[in-house]
Amino acid sequence: MSERVAVTGAGVVTPIGAGYESFRDGLRSGRSGVGRIRAFDCAGLSTQIAAEVDHRQGDLSAWVEPRTSAKLMSRAAMFAAAAAAMARRQALLGRDGVDPRRLGVVVGAGGMGPTDLDLLATQAQAAIDAAREVGTGRWDVPTFARLFTERTNPIATLRGLPNLAAAQLAIQHDARGPNATITTACCAGTQAIGEGLRLIQRGDADVVLAGGTDAAVNPVAVLGFSLLGTLSRCNAEPGRASRPFDRQRDGFVIGEGAGFVVLERESFAQARGAPVLAELAGYGVTCDAYRITDERPDAAEAAHAISLGLRDAEMEPRDLGYINAHGTGTRMNDITETRAIRLSLGAHAADVPVSSTKSMIGHLLAAAGAVELAATLIALTEGFLPPTINLEDPDEECDLDYVPNVARAASPTAALSTSFGFGGQNACLVIRRW
Amino acid sequence: MPGDSPLVGGRPLPEVVRRIIADVLVVALEEVQPGKGLVRDLGAESIDFMDLVFRLEDALECQIPFPRWQRFIEATLEGQDLAVAITPEVVQLFAERELAGA
Repeated sequence: MSERVAVTGAGVVTPIGAGYESFRDGLRSGRSGVGRIRAFDCAGLSTQIAAEVDHRQGDLSAWVEPRTSAKLMSRAAMFAAAAAAMARRQALLGRDGVDPRRLGVVVGAGGMGPTDLDLLATQAQAAIDAAREVGTGRWDVPTFARLFTERTNPIATLRGLPNLAAAQLAIQHDARGPNATITTACCAGTQAIGEGLRLIQRGDADVVLAGGTDAAVNPVAVLGFSLLGTLSRCNAEPGRASRPFDRQRDGFVIGEGAGFVVLERESFAQARGAPVLAELAGYGVTCDAYRITDERPDAAEAAHAISLGLRDAEMEPRDLGYINAHGTGTRMNDITETRAIRLSLGAHAADVPVSSTKSMIGHLLAAAGAVELAATLIALTEGFLPPTINLEDPDEECDLDYVPNVARAASPTAALSTSFGFGGQNACLVIRRW
Repeated sequence: MPGDSPLVGGRPLPEVVRRIIADVLVVALEEVQPGKGLVRDLGAESIDFMDLVFRLEDALECQIPFPRWQRFIEATLEGQDLAVAITPEVVQLFAERELAGA
């Protein structure tokens, strides 16, 4: 029998708190992290709300090493550095605790729009000034190129690389083993952790820092998702905007942040006496192969991903005591996901509590699955299930137990977290008490 | 003597250069001392010199194509170990020449 894989640390940067304890307390109290957008002037936009990480979460650059790295980091890379460092600290894995070549990194990253607001502003201003200078009012590349070159610090352009966060983590942690970036949109964080599990099972690494990060509270992403009709416009009451499974929902709320876990081969963790939070027991991944933004109405492949995860964990549906849903708060997701859970769990579906922590922290896109795995770990180890807040008028097509509005005391022995992405990728992770 | 130095934005050039080096390399101002190798002693990597030249452009209010910095270094420090030879004084010399329109 192959060795198990232990989760020995978890670190998060979220709109309701940075760090495991702060996030746990936020989940327990059912607090919303959604507010009016502060990152830029959102006046006139159809959506003016987001779940942002702000100064209340502390100076995240303090987690970054070496010190010069911070200026090369996108906001998402900074979140990743902080969350990963927190996870490693919780795992009590010191600098010399692992052979650098046996330490891997897998990051879910890359969202919609630019990664750097300053760079976007520089580009936009150069385009405007170029049009003014040429006098035609049209996009003039040669003039734009000259202005952009004059005004842009070369290092700012580096922040746009999708693999930057993974590279920075490798430098900070001297991780010279496998290093990968997964860019499957809203599914990326879950897939990154699943592929981290596989790296260890294949014998390619002893320890993997795996997670996801995203920082899409920028005008291009907000406008882009608005054009696609996916964002809530509940500007008047931000705290009530994210309402998965509720009949009054009108789309998701963009969130930002990062989640990372430390994964270790069982014998490695035991040999160093590591504190173990849980076993990462299973991973299932499929693709709808259907349409870019529509999910398969019958939810067959989403359900199959859940079945694969359970099979990978050698578990039956009745073993599950909690599901952290993708639960975006779009009508299509909520109904299809409910169907997928019914299809994969059969009669047991009605008995499993399912909640969407996106009701509190919004949709963290490429980071969502990783932060939600951290929430699932908390459900497994802290004696309570995080609620789905704002669930006041349940959609009749969503007929599971969604842990409405208040956290519930419970001690599940195994739990599942799901993620589904634009593009049709479906993935889930299964964790179990150690 | 500071009095002998050209002023940039109301401050003596050496002070401006020192501040830029400290900002680029994220070190305390006191660490930027004459004779310190930017690479060996202060941890600079290649991308930091692009940052440095960009910030000099801003401070001196002129355009400095990066290849001009590279040519200056090749010509001025020919045959030397650049890890130790690029010092605050060398950066200042470059800035003085740029300011003089060299």
